[in-house]
Amino acid sequence: MSDIMIEFRNLTKRYGTLLANDHVNLQIKRGELMTLLGPSGCGKTTALRGLTGYVRPDEGQILIDDKDVTNLPTYQRQLGMVFQNFALFPHMTVWDNVRFPLMIRGVSKKDSEAQVREALQLIRLEGLSDRYPRQLSGGQQQRVGLARALVYRPNVLLLDEPLSNLDAKLREEMRFEIRDLQRRLGITAIYVTHDQQEALALSDRVAIMKSGHLEQVGTPEEIYEYPRSKFVADFIGLSDFIPATVEGFDARTARISVAGVALNAPAVEGLSRGQKILLFIRPNDVELVTSESGENILPGVVHQTTYLGDRMDYRVQIADGVNARVQTASGHRYAQGDRVHLHLPVERCRLIQEE
Amino acid sequence: MRILKLYLQPLWNARLLLIYSFLAGFAILILAPFLMISLRSVGKGWFGKLWFPPELTLQWFQSAIDIGNIPEVLRNTAIIAAIAVAISTAIGILSGWAFGRRHLPGKEMLMAIILLPRMIPPITYALGVAKIFYGLDLVNTYLGVGLAHVSLCAPYAILVLSSTFEALDERVLEAATVCGANTLKSFFYVILPMILPGILASMIFTFTTSYNEFTLTLMTYGPDTVTMAVRTYLAIGEGYVEITSAMAVILVVPSLVILAMIQGGIQPEKLIGGFKGV
Repeated sequence: MSDIMIEFRNLTKRYGTLLANDHVNLQIKRGELMTLLGPSGCGKTTALRGLTGYVRPDEGQILIDDKDVTNLPTYQRQLGMVFQNFALFPHMTVWDNVRFPLMIRGVSKKDSEAQVREALQLIRLEGLSDRYPRQLSGGQQQRVGLARALVYRPNVLLLDEPLSNLDAKLREEMRFEIRDLQRRLGITAIYVTHDQQEALALSDRVAIMKSGHLEQVGTPEEIYEYPRSKFVADFIGLSDFIPATVEGFDARTARISVAGVALNAPAVEGLSRGQKILLFIRPNDVELVTSESGENILPGVVHQTTYLGDRMDYRVQIADGVNARVQTASGHRYAQGDRVHLHLPVERCRLIQEE
Repeated sequence: MRILKLYLQPLWNARLLLIYSFLAGFAILILAPFLMISLRSVGKGWFGKLWFPPELTLQWFQSAIDIGNIPEVLRNTAIIAAIAVAISTAIGILSGWAFGRRHLPGKEMLMAIILLPRMIPPITYALGVAKIFYGLDLVNTYLGVGLAHVSLCAPYAILVLSSTFEALDERVLEAATVCGANTLKSFFYVILPMILPGILASMIFTFTTSYNEFTLTLMTYGPDTVTMAVRTYLAIGEGYVEITSAMAVILVVPSLVILAMIQGGIQPEKLIGGFKGV
């Protein structure tokens, strides 16, 4: 039994001239929850449909549990899937909806009873088994969707934006519920979403997609802390990009200048002297300090202030056309026009190539 | 201006009365012929300028059944309607699937052709059908008359079932497949129950169309395939106004039953214990 449960090999799909999947290579480990994250049209849904067999790839292979399923019909792939619009069978009760995968597999009414009951217990809806989907709330419907997907213990659980149709509060609640369920059952899962917070909260690993190809794959922490491109940095969390020039570098540290001020940042591969580069930092990592001396201090003028309740958001002008963004919870309130000093901690600075 | 308003006020107040009188007049216009025929079918010795038949009787119905051979005629009508409904529904399901779920090139054009028999004058169409059916020996057969009716019934079935299939949620079908159902099982366990209300609606439409159809039947019937509509028409020539009226009343009963069912809120989907969309 290999460690890899699902593998995309060079998955490619074209719609006319549009490249929906461009040689996607991705391995998903047994028991792992992998999120495919990206803006709409990035190809994440096409990749998922490739796995279900609803979309036939033009090139490449898909393996589930070391078995090539590229040409296997959908109904033989032993998958469980949860849909954005729930996609319950409207003419069946909750019980019959959950029993459906078992019924299709020829399990008798009597034999399937225990499994259906267990699945309904998992999602805490035992009392509603006689209801029809239209009599349930969105959250309840999606729980039924989960039970239906899990009832026959499939190899793989697929979740296609399962929380997008729910309101914000319920969405956050269900995140933990799904995560907990997936962990308890130890099932391999692929979760498709365009919501970066959802991806960070849920995933073992995140695969970020952009116009058909994988931009970066890693744990939520890796993706958040070490984004490999401007796209990833921009897509995940708050981000600020300050144009800079490379002045020099050694194996560990690069010296750059921002609007004439010398700063240090961890070195990255592929640097060259005089090169234009972006200094990437999260606005909540920047500190406002009083001292003018010290490492990585940028002077500027407060340009705009926004009150966000638990913190303040400042836009600080460094030079003409060069702005930095700071979010801080610290006590002192600055006003528009105040001169401030920004401290950019070296270990929080990242250098990213312009795209 | 104020004086004008003063004079118009009573009229304005009487507007409800006006509206109701108009509606009542309209109802009389529609119902009068039907009332007349009904009275005739049960009236005896109703001649001259009498407002109401002097004597009521059911003997004309008895005569209609005996002379008009109504039981056999009704059987013919039912068989022909059944053939028309079955074929039209089958065509409707297949074309409805194609129209509702696939991107067909030239869809509008195809739809126009399908609707053509309903658009051109029935007698023109019926003459053409008769010419072809005589050549094919289809005249005076259940299949022949039924097929002729299909040309009028199928457009209804296709229209109704196209929108039924259009309303099917693609994701629900995908869910069935991912759950392990192959095409056949998906159809029987998921698609069929979901389109059943549409099928039932289409069957009601096609049945009434076939049952009421006169022109096409007249051009394709024979002694063995007399339908209720044609039998009533033939009775006019035989000259017994009361018996003809009795037949006309029998003719209208099934349509009234169906109308009452629809008006009574007996929706087709409720008949099969189903559901109402997602």
